[in-house]
Amino acid sequence: MLERRAARRTTDGFTETSRRVPSTVAHISGLALLAITPGLVVSAIVEFIGAGDAGWMILACAAIFGVLGAVLWRGTRLGDLAIRTIFASVAWSWLLVSVLGSLPFILARTFEREGVGRWIEVADAIFESVSGYTCTGSTVLTTLPDIGDPDPQVGHGILFYRQLIQWYGGMGFVQLVVTVLPALGSRALGFMGAEAPGPTADRLAPRAADTARILWKLYIGGTIVMAVAFALAGMGPWDAINHSLATAATGGFSTYNDSIGEFDSVAIEVVAQAAMLFGGANWALHWLFLTKSRSVYSRDHEFRAYIAIYVVATVAIAARLTVGSEVGGFWSALRVSSFNVASLISSTGFGNAQGTGTAGDFVLWSATPLTVLLLLMVMGGMSGSTAGGTKVIRTRVLAAVSHRTVAVARQPRAVVPVKLGRDVVPEGIVKRVSLFMMAYAALVVGGFLVVTLLGGGLEESLSGVISALGNMGPALGDAGPTATFLDAYPAPARMVLAFLMLAGRLELFAVLLMFAAPGRALRKIRPHRRTF
Amino acid sequence: MRTLSTLPSKKRHGTLALLPGPIGIGLAAGGVCALAAGMVGLILDPDRLSFDRISELVLGLAAIAIGITLIRSQPETVVNRAKAMAMFVAGWTAMTLVAVVVFLVAGEVESPMDAVFEAVSASTTTGFTTVADPAELSHSFRFLRVILPWTTGLGVLMVAMGVLPAAIGGAELLPKRRLGRERQLVTTAPVAIRNILGMYLVLTISLVVGYAIAGMGAFDALTYALSTASTAGFANHANSLGHFDSAAIEWVASFGMAAAGGNLLVVWWGLRGRLEAVWRSTELRLYVLLLIGGFAIVLLGGDLDASDSAVAITSMLSTTGLHSANWGASASFVQAALLVATGIGAMSGSVGSGFRQARVSRVALEVRRALRNLLDPHRIGVVRIDGEAVKEESLDLTIGYLWMHGFTLAGLALVMHTPELDLVASLSLVLSIVSNTGVLLSGGEISNTVSLSGWSEIVGAVGMLLGRLSIYPVLITAAGFGRWVSRLRPHRSIGAEV
Repeated sequence: MLERRAARRTTDGFTETSRRVPSTVAHISGLALLAITPGLVVSAIVEFIGAGDAGWMILACAAIFGVLGAVLWRGTRLGDLAIRTIFASVAWSWLLVSVLGSLPFILARTFEREGVGRWIEVADAIFESVSGYTCTGSTVLTTLPDIGDPDPQVGHGILFYRQLIQWYGGMGFVQLVVTVLPALGSRALGFMGAEAPGPTADRLAPRAADTARILWKLYIGGTIVMAVAFALAGMGPWDAINHSLATAATGGFSTYNDSIGEFDSVAIEVVAQAAMLFGGANWALHWLFLTKSRSVYSRDHEFRAYIAIYVVATVAIAARLTVGSEVGGFWSALRVSSFNVASLISSTGFGNAQGTGTAGDFVLWSATPLTVLLLLMVMGGMSGSTAGGTKVIRTRVLAAVSHRTVAVARQPRAVVPVKLGRDVVPEGIVKRVSLFMMAYAALVVGGFLVVTLLGGGLEESLSGVISALGNMGPALGDAGPTATFLDAYPAPARMVLAFLMLAGRLELFAVLLMFAAPGRALRKIRPHRRTF
Repeated sequence: MRTLSTLPSKKRHGTLALLPGPIGIGLAAGGVCALAAGMVGLILDPDRLSFDRISELVLGLAAIAIGITLIRSQPETVVNRAKAMAMFVAGWTAMTLVAVVVFLVAGEVESPMDAVFEAVSASTTTGFTTVADPAELSHSFRFLRVILPWTTGLGVLMVAMGVLPAAIGGAELLPKRRLGRERQLVTTAPVAIRNILGMYLVLTISLVVGYAIAGMGAFDALTYALSTASTAGFANHANSLGHFDSAAIEWVASFGMAAAGGNLLVVWWGLRGRLEAVWRSTELRLYVLLLIGGFAIVLLGGDLDASDSAVAITSMLSTTGLHSANWGASASFVQAALLVATGIGAMSGSVGSGFRQARVSRVALEVRRALRNLLDPHRIGVVRIDGEAVKEESLDLTIGYLWMHGFTLAGLALVMHTPELDLVASLSLVLSIVSNTGVLLSGGEISNTVSLSGWSEIVGAVGMLLGRLSIYPVLITAAGFGRWVSRLRPHRSIGAEV
């Protein structure tokens, strides 16, 4: 009997006699909502300080998040910790937070426009919220201010909240939850892996919770350094804080319509580029650089490839723009190409165009530079970063797999391992990378068809789907860096893109398998025999 | 069955020693095509006794003579896969070279690069052309453009069905269903050649008759039939089948293209009465599903009538490239669906190209298995196609090919220099090149005619070749050639300097 009781004891110490409902999904979701609540309170305070009229609404949202989070957290306990449950917990908590995260926008009527129904407003708010939490940076907000706008239409609190949600999503709030749930034990790494960008989650400490804590400390520190650097480059404190939140998370929302281009400052663009590349690199590498070795960057083959791709793409685009006289002289070409390549390879999505039709408005470039940008959108940054895309490491693995295929086609009996540099990649990782990329390709093709069906143009649909899956921000065609997604896609198409953003942020698997655990639970609903 | 790989051998030879034979076959095949085109010119062209027509005949005869000489010098030997691939590429190159020379001598293309592009487009069954109005070309030139891909199609079928060694990619995709020996398509080499050539000829002749009954003239019926059966897509008119404005012709073309994109083995099963095996073919079911679904999408989503819709979907799915109406002005969804269709391409074991239906079904089943394994890592799943387990090595080859296909598309899109095209046109051009479809979607118009720079024509020619031979045979041959060149360099002496 004692053994049976012990077997029924769950990982967080509650036994069968506890009245809490065993639901890992609800438990994790509740904690995630609680984690967001302080951010909402701070946003409300900012709104009050800025004399905006949405302070109480944001505070009401904080109360809703707090109460709902507390109910879900205290009313449930950790239950099944199988892989399917982990995926489902991460996916459902992200869905819940990013959809509920639209409440401040809805209550503040941020997306109110003439001739637009209430439901479209709600859909726009959800799109903006999902885009923010997933660090995509695609926006439907057309009422952003210019520098020194005496009468901004959007309050400071809302603007700050819009920047803050990217910052939460950058490192991942499930990772934040892991730091306060020691009961997860060895399964914590599974939760981190389901949310972390890249084929595997890096481990910086023996305990996964400690790894999560290290990464969050580093993330906070990195954000502060970026804010200081932006301020030194010429931004005001308000802009520096907001843009550092977006940059560290590689989110890409700006508080201005023209994004970084609003400042028209080379110094700010240089700082932004460096910060974006930093955010798009593996944060574990940054930690190792600070604590262990100064040569970690040069020894890491993914980092070398990341920088090499950045340099080659920048030079190639600048050369093409110069030869074709598309944006003026070489320096102008170098300025716009280096910025936009950094912005897209890191999946940040900032723009440096000073309005439609200027040099940085890359939708006006010729097909070759646009193809480079589109491929950068597909690839994205490094694994273990806050960046989106399929990641540099996966591209390298696929290149190695292709090489192996040629070798095996030539000599069918050959046993050829997949290698990165001198390291052999385990077959399990190769299979997982292949699966990810196949799922990615299927979602791109499927998404492309669905978005065109819902009314998107060919160029906008293809680039929009790639941008959403890679959490990039801008797309091509009518959804470029100086435009919003409002005119380029009908509302249903924007909802599809929002779903793809979520899928891309959670590295596809969690979203693809989010119905696996509830489905299994539903199948299991039948009368149980009472043991006691 | 005796194939090149199983011929009794007394000696192994290096790859170079094996090349004269396939080069000879290529030259002879090109020569026969040139000779046939020259004879068509003698009969139909008003300038029948001009230098161009006579030179076509002479060139054809010379190529045949050199080809036969080279074939006779070929030693009997054991051929491994890499050598078979090199031999196939060499033979194909020789045939294309004959066409390039004939095109240049005929003087109907503007530059040598145009001649290369046109010849490669023909010999890869792509159908892109540099000629703005094909109606202005001589009969012999137009005939040569369609007889070349028809010949290539025959060669591709021979390799795909296993009569020749697995010199192009995709041999692993063929269904493995066992039939009685008397019911098999390939038993011995002569029987296989008879069966394959017979079915190919029956399709072509049926199309000639069908087109003629539907209202085409004799020459048009012959050339369009050759173009349809080989999925080349070359047309005698600038607006392709739209020139005739005949629903009957469009329906004939649709059935012809759908048949040409079908797996010859499955067709054979049907002809032998094994309808159960035909119905069980996963690839066929997917093909039919995509044809019907695509037809419905084009019909319901655009302003095309039924026959035009049928031409559009069968043409893009079978990678032929003929067109009867401008679907480039249809809704975005229709255009997207047709572009995706041409990316998927025809069935394996057909003359068509593209990524192929069999690979799509394999990839889909592998994704399902891998997702299940992700939830249950200890689960051992098997991918089954047509009720039979697919070997893991074969599956790995398919997955690897998927990435090679992706890298090829991305690489070509990057190096293709098309400043006059927008992004969608540029990407559709690359997709159409690798899938050997030959349709450019640009500015709301579709066309088989492209106007590219010399560099882009070279890139396009390489892309068409990669697509036609399923990429890796070309890579393996190029790598082998690179190794051979590196061996020619003088070696450094290891001994001490005096």
